[in-house]
Amino acid sequence: MIPCPTADEGPIAAMRNVDFSYDDGTEALHSVTLDVWRGEHIALVGGNGSGKTTIAKLLNGLLRPSRGHVLVKGNDAAKESVAALSRTVGYAFQNPDHQLFCSTVAEEVLFGPKNLGFADAKAVEKADRALSLMSIGHLKDKAPLSLSLGDRRRVSVASVIAMDPEVLVLDEPSTGLDAGEAAELMRALDGLNQEGKTIILITHEMRLVAEHSERVLVMAHGHVVLDCRTRVAFSEPEALHESGLIPPAAIQLAHRLSDFGVSPEVLTVDELAEEVAKVWGARI
Amino acid sequence: MGCQNMTGFVDLYSEGGTFLHRIDARVKIVAVLFLSVLAFLLSNVYSLTLLLAFIFILLFLARASLSRTWFALRFVIRFMVLIVVLWPIFDPSGTPVWATFGPVKITEPAVWRGVTSAVRVGCLACVWYILMFTTSQRDLVRALVKMGLRFDFGLALAISLRFLPTFSATIDSIKDAERARGMELDKGSLLKRSRNYVAILVPTIVSALRSADTLSLALHSRAYGARADRTYLREPKMRRQDAAALSVVIALLVVPVFFKFVLGVPL
Ligand SMILES: Nc1ncnc2c1ncn2[C@@H]1O[C@H](COP(=O)(O)OP(=O)(O)OP(=O)(O)O)[C@@H](O)[C@H]1O
Ligand SMILES: [Mg+2]
Repeated sequence: MIPCPTADEGPIAAMRNVDFSYDDGTEALHSVTLDVWRGEHIALVGGNGSGKTTIAKLLNGLLRPSRGHVLVKGNDAAKESVAALSRTVGYAFQNPDHQLFCSTVAEEVLFGPKNLGFADAKAVEKADRALSLMSIGHLKDKAPLSLSLGDRRRVSVASVIAMDPEVLVLDEPSTGLDAGEAAELMRALDGLNQEGKTIILITHEMRLVAEHSERVLVMAHGHVVLDCRTRVAFSEPEALHESGLIPPAAIQLAHRLSDFGVSPEVLTVDELAEEVAKVWGARI
Repeated sequence: MGCQNMTGFVDLYSEGGTFLHRIDARVKIVAVLFLSVLAFLLSNVYSLTLLLAFIFILLFLARASLSRTWFALRFVIRFMVLIVVLWPIFDPSGTPVWATFGPVKITEPAVWRGVTSAVRVGCLACVWYILMFTTSQRDLVRALVKMGLRFDFGLALAISLRFLPTFSATIDSIKDAERARGMELDKGSLLKRSRNYVAILVPTIVSALRSADTLSLALHSRAYGARADRTYLREPKMRRQDAAALSVVIALLVVPVFFKFVLGVPL
């Protein structure tokens, strides 16, 4: 969904000059400022240790800024508990094993909605919807930690979706999923985005970014080094290279073929095929 | 945050190059045992205070940082205060009586007995603190094995010490997971709050059991238990200064014992 920021509605989540250091002195973020608008589909990318997870945890209050402010729905997040913030910003942990603690999948997914005070019937409805979105309805009675990594990952995402937050922050949700599972997960997220949910996807897979996100935030050493439309980000691969990111094959190929008249502004394999067909057709 | 504190709490060791750091860990273990026995044998408040002063000198020689020492021993100090306050309240024996509050009689000997016990507790705490703070857990376990502890018990001990910080990190991450899903850990009645903490404890224990399982696979896949006799990379050796320290330690116990039990000096 294309966001439509209006004058009367500010960003749904924002960071203003945020510095963050961990207790051992590691400076993880330096003066990070960003706006997240309702309905956006954002990719948060960057090398290992660049600060992606730190940003995610700051947005839902698990970490508090050393300096600067985090705003959620225009209010200073410092005044609110993690539990209160979780109503707006849902966070699916990078490591699902750190997130799962109940004895069955059904309990796990119900935990959030119940805490938020949804009536029983409503909570069950939300949990069931999340389970079916992640296609894990059949695992309801299994112990979460006994599942395969892919299924654990999906339980962890479902447990956040079930809380129905307006912003979903997913920390590397496709890691450990096979290609088919990852595609299915991304389809589910795109569906939620169509319904108006804001998606912040942390990932190392540039192909997913190119195919699904409309905006890219690139992190390097605790700084936001690039914040722009996905198409723009991939049209200048140098900036990405500096952050250790390599565009997906289709985009690289388009750049190589630009001398032959192929537009370097493609994002997906389909777009590349179309471009190539156009140039090819013109030649014949 | 919690994780860091906990790490400091479970591993008091801080590196350093002092004499007390370098001395053979076996000598240190013997010394600590002897000094602990001595603290129990001495019943005179002056000799116990002298012992405490001696231990403070050791602390100073080991270059213990004041803030770390305070952090490690603050509970002990509260405990000592508690002993001094409570002892006379529950021990009405002896004269002269200093004060009477209804059924409670505060007598002079009882106050002194409280102080004596508090100083004794202080001696014990400081002595063990010096050992923990000048000896790495690895050296400690190796020394215990050298002194006859079965190797597998030593390994179990080393692993438990190694996993304590991990354990507290697990507690933190489960807390985070629950808060991130709308749980208010510190809200509600006492009953509700204690239930919340059970909700943390159960998954923590499950997770610990799981990691124990994984750990045993990891140990066996690296041929743990393949041979009964093991070789060691570093064999602790007694050097001359270690032997000297050991004789000082022995004298520290033997001399007061001789004075107290043979000569009858009221130490
Ligand atoms: N609990 C912690 N204590 C101390 N330093 C930490 C902690 N967690 C992360 N860091 C450090 O903070 C920096 C940013 O870490 P962060 O986890 O946000 O990176 P990331 O972009 O999510 O990396 P990855 O792609 O590996 O998940 C890194 O240098 C990391 O080592
Ligand atoms: Mg991360």
